[in-house]
Order: sequence, then C-alpha cells, then structure tokens
Amino acid sequence: MLPAELRLRILRTAVLTRRFEERAARLARAGAIPAAIHLGTGQEVGQIAALAALRPDDPMLYGHRGAGYWFARGISPATVLADIAYREGGTNRGKGGVMHVVDPARGVLGESGTVGGNFVLGAGIAFADRQLGRDTVTIVFFGDGTSNRGQFHEAANFAAIARLPLVLFCENNGWGLSVPASVSTSVDDIATRAAGYGMPGVVVDGCDPDAVFAAVAAAAARARAGGGPTLIEAKVPRIPAHFLGDKEHYRTDADRQAAVDRDPLPRLVADVRARGLLDDDGLAALEAEVAAELDAAFDDVLARPLVAPATAFEGLYP
Amino acid sequence: MSGPDVKYAHALRAALDRALADDPRVVVFGEDVAVAGGIFGVTRGLHATHGDRVFDTPISENLIVGMAVGMAMRGLRPVAELQYADFVFSAGDEVFLKAATWRYSHDGAVDLPMVVRMACGGGGFGPEHSQCTEAYLMHTPGLRVAVPSTPADAQGILTAAIRSDEPWFVLEHKYLYGTSGPVPEGDHVAEPGRAVIRRRGEHVTIVAWQDMLRRALAAAEVLSDDGIEAEVLDPVTLDPFDLDTLVGSVRRTGACVVVEEAPVTLGVGAEIGALLMEHAFGWLDRPLVRLGIPDVPVPTAEHLVAALVPSVDDIVAAVRRQVG
Repeated sequence: MLPAELRLRILRTAVLTRRFEERAARLARAGAIPAAIHLGTGQEVGQIAALAALRPDDPMLYGHRGAGYWFARGISPATVLADIAYREGGTNRGKGGVMHVVDPARGVLGESGTVGGNFVLGAGIAFADRQLGRDTVTIVFFGDGTSNRGQFHEAANFAAIARLPLVLFCENNGWGLSVPASVSTSVDDIATRAAGYGMPGVVVDGCDPDAVFAAVAAAAARARAGGGPTLIEAKVPRIPAHFLGDKEHYRTDADRQAAVDRDPLPRLVADVRARGLLDDDGLAALEAEVAAELDAAFDDVLARPLVAPATAFEGLYP
Repeated sequence: MSGPDVKYAHALRAALDRALADDPRVVVFGEDVAVAGGIFGVTRGLHATHGDRVFDTPISENLIVGMAVGMAMRGLRPVAELQYADFVFSAGDEVFLKAATWRYSHDGAVDLPMVVRMACGGGGFGPEHSQCTEAYLMHTPGLRVAVPSTPADAQGILTAAIRSDEPWFVLEHKYLYGTSGPVPEGDHVAEPGRAVIRRRGEHVTIVAWQDMLRRALAAAEVLSDDGIEAEVLDPVTLDPFDLDTLVGSVRRTGACVVVEEAPVTLGVGAEIGALLMEHAFGWLDRPLVRLGIPDVPVPTAEHLVAALVPSVDDIVAAVRRQVG
C-alpha cells in the first residue's frame, strides 16, 4: 500500500498533469499553440504511480500520451509548455516539440517518434547502464498498438536473453488511434506475450495506483537484482480522442462513456478523501495551488518569443 | 605511406582490438561476430581476447542499431556490425530516424558516439546482399559515412570513427577484405573529410572509392599509354566530403568522371556533379561523366553483375570519349 505522503504526491502530480493538459488543449484548439499534444487523460495516474516506484535516476523512455511522465520526474510545466509552444526555455527548442522533451539528468531520455522505436533504444540504455556499473532499471512506456511493432519482439527477446534491467510498461487503452485492439492485436492481454520471451508478464488495473506501484516496484527489484526484464500491462481507459481535432467518428458514445466512467482521477480523489488524507478544503487548496502554478507558467512562457529560426541549424553534431 | 603490409580485414580488426584494449566503453556486437568472428572474419579472435564486450546478437537488425543508439546515449562507445550494407534498410527506423535525428530532435542533449560497420558490394550475393548503400546514408543529415579503400584508411578511419562523438557508418568492401597494403605502425588515426589523390594526372579527375578505385587506377595506367594522364581521387569519407580537394583537382584537369558501384540516379556521382556545377563550373572544360550501375537491382550471377558494374574497360572508354 502506498504511504500517505506518496499517495498525495501522486495525486498532486496527476492533478497538475490533468489541469496542464486541459489548458494546453484549450489553447491549441484556439490556435494559440501547436496542437501536437496527445492528451493522456485517464492514463496519467498509472504513469505517475509507475514512476513513483522507480528511482529518480532510472532511465525512462516515455509514451506519447500526456505530460504526466515529465511532471513525475520534476520537469516544470513551463519547460514542457515551452517545448509544446516552440518557445525559448524548453528542452529541445523547436527541434522535437512535445514528442522529444528531454532531461538526461532526470533520466528523461526521450521518445521515439515512430511508436515502437523505444524498445530497442531501451534495450541499449539498459545494457549500457549495467555495463557501466550503474544499478539503474530502465523503463519503456508503450501502448497496446505499439506492441505490434517488430521492435517489440526484437527487444523483448534480447532483453530476456541478456537479462537486461528493463521494465516494459504497456498502457493498454484498447485503441491504436482508430483501430480497436480486437482488430489489431492477437491476444486480449498484451502481458501474455511475455511468456513467449521467457519473462514475467503482469496485468494490473492502470487506474489503481497501488496496484501499478506494487507491480513496478516488484519488477524493478527483480531487474536490479539481475533477474531480467518484466512486461507489465496496465489496463487504462482512452478518455480523450487520439489527437486534438480527432472527431472519433469510429467510436461509439457508449465506449467513450465507459472510458470516462473509469477515469482514475476522481477515483483517486475519493480514495484520499476516504482515507482522511485530504478534506474538501485540502482539495480546494491543492487545485488553487496548481492553478496558480499554471497561471504563472503559461503567462511566462507565452510571453516568450518563439525560438529563433537560426536554431534550426543547431544541434545536429557536437 | 610506410609500414608493414597488412590485409584490409586485419587492419579493421587491429582498429577494433586496440579500441577495445584502450577504452572500456567500447563494445563490439552483431550477428556472428563473437565466437565465429564475423561472416567475413573481421572480428575473429576479439571475443577470446576481450570477452563479453564482443558479443553475438540475435538476427535482429533493428535491435542491433537501436541498441547502439541507446548505448551511445548513456556513454558506451558501441561498434555494431550489420553483416551487409543492404541491412541499413532492415534497420531503417534506427539508422535513418534514430541515429540520424536523435541528437537533433533533443537539441544536443545527448551525443551518439556510435559506429555501424557493414560489408558492401561485389557479386554472387544477390540483390539484397550486394548493394553499396553509401548514397542513402550520405543523403541523410546527421550520419557520417566512410568508404575506406586501403588497409591504412580502413584502420585509420575506423579508429577515428570509434573515437568520434558522432554516428559513423563505415562501409567495408567485400572484395577488399583480402587485399594488402602498408599500414603505419602504432596508433594510426585518419582524419575524416580528407580526400587522398591516389594518382597524379593533368587531363581528367576520376573520383572513385573501394573496388571502383582499384579499377580506376588500372584504367589510368591504360590511359597513360594513350597519353591521357588521369588524376585519381579517393574521397575516403563521403560525409564529411572533401570538396576543396575535389575542386582543386578539377581546376587543374578541367574534367571529371565519377565511378561508383551503385545505381547512377541520385547517386554519389550525381551529388558530385551538382557540387562541381556550383563550385567549379568555370573550370570544367567538358561535361561530367557518371559511371555506375544502370538503374536495375544487383543480380546474383557474377557474370550478370560484371555486365552492370563499371569495368576497367568501361572507365577507359568513358575517359577516351570525354577527353579524347
């Protein structure tokens, strides 16, 4: 069970993530910032709980849904917004945008733009850290659709052979853009594929931070002790459309509503309330604190100039 | 160049051996590279000497190159082997979208000190194991590309590539592995971006590398009997490309022939031609000539390959037509 302080920290990061994405989506829909962000609504609690179970220096390659990964590692909303909005003060100055937020000192190593590219990079990162005597565990986040890329097979096979300190964390939201998992994926549970590689496969409720934390902590302990990789599948809802502007004409209202009903954030709020960790006043204070932080960040970043055109020529070579 | 004669394959091995001995961050891996020593024998003995830092991978080209990218990000200096240069397409995501872009898309937050070695060219290997893929790599910003032709350059440029903080792709020609030449003793490092004039001449500049360089040098001797003196330029690396030496040579000769073992359309010769139009138009007395494989895949049978790849006679005839 999560300690009280950690549970509250996960809640705060999840609220920050949700409110940040709501603001970013509003601005993007209004045309004020680029609309490249893929909202992580409903997946952020699982993402944040997973990272809470790791050390702050454990390398991470993140997925493309949401800002929770970055906030969980302490990257500021202003920094992330600067990357989204191509302003100075971000991490990649218009070269990578929202897909390539990076901070090696925090273990945030980027994301493959082609989904699935993360797996083989993650294998190399895990190999290198072990070879260099670091006792880190590398986590690779990916979606259910991404598990159909060939790189999943190549990396999972080798990670098992080489007993790499690697956690493959699948966020199964049931959709690969417009294609339901039932059409694209040969198994109901991605985790069952682990058996084919001789590694443990675990299914957890991705809306339950206790379950996610426990699964990742166990996988990390196993990996750190030399036991090799684990595949964790977190079942999560796909609450938002795939991208801003996606009308979801391929999806029924009932399916969408079922996802909304699984939203982990109200569930976490109810949980901390029931545990007596936060009352109405405390929740209001948390929301006010987050709003103030975001007000300041958005005002600051949107007042900055776009990165200079000359930036396009920088960064290719040392 | 002085030093004992060494085979091209052994010179490459010496570069790997020394890098493994000098730098604990260097790892060597790929298909069949460990106990077997590589399908062309380049890595033979390295596993016995250096242990698990020389290791076999599954038949997984995406993994081989992708792992190199991930390792390099974290401070190793990986030297990966793709058995054939054609396999850059098997590992296309990792070659063209990761090794080439990762540093840029993260604004320099990480360096990629990595090398991918691979065998190219020749006949008898079929359409998927024979290609010289340097033009694709040269076309892609972010990748460094070497095409060493001599044992000395093979050792020197591979050593430079391993010590570089940039992603290098080193093409090794199958027909050159068994050839010998002098290699300087000691710590021999070549400087990328420096072309070498292999033969001096005043009537035409022939640009060629690897097996085509051997044919160009043979053709130059035939032409010399006709009174045509060809200057033969070996670029050694295609990215960076030594434009100054090329332009300097063409200023002296007024004519240029490019010979490559790859399709002519949008090949390295096309790029060299465009560079000369931009930088040496006033000194060109005659149109550029490109020799290469007509735009068909590389067949399997050696006699069919021979019908397509520029021969010594083809080069002689082309130069005679051009400057005669």
